[in-house]
Amino acid sequence: MFRIALKMLLGDRGKYFGIITGIALASLLMIQQPGILISIFSRTYSFISDVALPDIWVMDPMVKYVDDSQPMLDTQLYRVRGVKGVEWAVPLYKGNQRVRLGDGQLVSSNLIGLDDATLIGGPAVMLKGKLADLRLPDAVIVDEAGATGRLAKPASPGKKAEPLQVGDILEINDKRARVVGIARAGATFQSQPIIYTTYTRATTYALSERKLLSYILVKAKADEPVANVTARIRHDTGMAARSADEFKDMTFLYILNNTSILTNFGFVVIVGFIVGAAVTGQIFYNFTLDNLRYFAVFKAMGATDRMLRRMILLQALLVGFVGFGLGAGATAVFAAITRERPGLSMTLNWQLLLGSSIAVAVIVLFAALISVRKVLKLEPAVVFK
Amino acid sequence: MNGPTSAVQCTGIVKRYGSGEAEVLALRGIDLEVRMGELLMLVGPSGCGKTTLISVIAGILDQDDGECLLFGQDITRLPATERTRYRGQAIGFVFQSFNLIPTLTAAENVAIPLLINGVPFESAVAEARVRLRDVQLEGREDALPTQLSGGQQQRVAIARAIVHRPRLVVCDEPTSALDGETGHKVMQVLKDVAVGSDRALVIVTHDARIYEFADRIARMEDGHIVSVEQTERGTTENAP
Repeated sequence: MFRIALKMLLGDRGKYFGIITGIALASLLMIQQPGILISIFSRTYSFISDVALPDIWVMDPMVKYVDDSQPMLDTQLYRVRGVKGVEWAVPLYKGNQRVRLGDGQLVSSNLIGLDDATLIGGPAVMLKGKLADLRLPDAVIVDEAGATGRLAKPASPGKKAEPLQVGDILEINDKRARVVGIARAGATFQSQPIIYTTYTRATTYALSERKLLSYILVKAKADEPVANVTARIRHDTGMAARSADEFKDMTFLYILNNTSILTNFGFVVIVGFIVGAAVTGQIFYNFTLDNLRYFAVFKAMGATDRMLRRMILLQALLVGFVGFGLGAGATAVFAAITRERPGLSMTLNWQLLLGSSIAVAVIVLFAALISVRKVLKLEPAVVFK
Repeated sequence: MNGPTSAVQCTGIVKRYGSGEAEVLALRGIDLEVRMGELLMLVGPSGCGKTTLISVIAGILDQDDGECLLFGQDITRLPATERTRYRGQAIGFVFQSFNLIPTLTAAENVAIPLLINGVPFESAVAEARVRLRDVQLEGREDALPTQLSGGQQQRVAIARAIVHRPRLVVCDEPTSALDGETGHKVMQVLKDVAVGSDRALVIVTHDARIYEFADRIARMEDGHIVSVEQTERGTTENAP
């Protein structure tokens, strides 16, 4: 009878497509919106992820998240270097500076100053030029999203803006900067262009500030547990010291607690679930109602309640499987299209697929439940009415 | 030991609908026997209880009082699932509005009772094709119900009612949706394929044009059987 159940479902194409469209849309919302949310949250700590080499980030105790750098005195670097268990410690500048474009427009950008000697903290993927070129006079490296986006050369009338190229000149706080490379960097929460230069040069671009040391990046010795070194830095210097993962968590939680992003996206996900359940439940229930007479015929002809339950469950699982597949597929296409784009993007992981598939299973089981209830209460004698 | 001589033996069947002042007594103590090998027609005005009675006989409606034995067995005493299974094996149904599943082919519709009884799909459909030939629908096995005429649809329904070789076939107004000639042909098919010495056929009808096919005619009025007449055909065919 399972084949009969499937033929009944697939034969009513209008309702079948209505049901799977409802589930596909619900799946799309339930996968895509959290996917975008995860992507947005991962942007909050993308800079920490990009600076992969150090074990420990040392910062002013008042720092709340990665973009909230509270400058420290340069002398803190030497104190950290003196802590037992520290393999190396390098300075890092991170701050917002204004970049003037060719048409006079000012663009707020994220300026990263890397240790002059080691260039630790620089971008891992260079698309054009070399990281070492930062040692050239006035040299800066711009991230790809910035070079093609907000820092792109202003368009002349009727033409499109041209991406920033190696050799182009910028002005940062009225000082000359020459682009020596284009790099790939993780998109930031504020979607600002990222400009890399050396620590010394960054301090000249940001002259107005008295203290300029944003972070100290530390590598623990191989035989020293990171947690021990972190605790020692805190104790010996009075600075805050956190592992990269701790700093990511702290940044993530700060954004989570101080913005309404989670509420907004969560609302859309809940609406997606409710609308999906309502639409799917309603159409599936209508499908069952339309076939109620035939279920009564089956009952009269000897189909047991167990058989009817399994038929309806099979129909529900099929529409759930197909609908979820379409929704997840559409979301995967969306994720693939937006993966390399600097703007909107989403993260698609197995946890998200598992969670949404469970939600869809709940929806179709709910739809099946209300339908089964109706069928089981049905008197087979209605076949003669 | 000989088996029962009656296909159906109803004694004192009472059926009520509703309660209190809204109570309707649909069957008021029905006594009726359907013999093996006969075609019994239940006739009478609308609302006299014919459909209620065949629902009780077929085991899809419980009587409030009385006893109805099906081939010597009171199926109301069986557990619900056993009773459903018994119905699936022993009874075939033909409905006034055919009740064919519109998304299934004729052969698949006919196969349903076999599938319910656990026959594998391919075997069930193969058997259904044979039964469709029996009702002169060869070549129409893969047609959908909407592609068939009313008479053809009712023949599909008849094939479905007999495909699993039930011992009792109950029909509710099988010709009322058909013109006279088609109704006559359908009845001939039904008579040919559904009646046998170890089986019985009960037909509820208003259609006087088909009375000639009956062995006996039971007339109902207001929840009672008022008469049971042996027809000329019944007398001839059942004569020793």
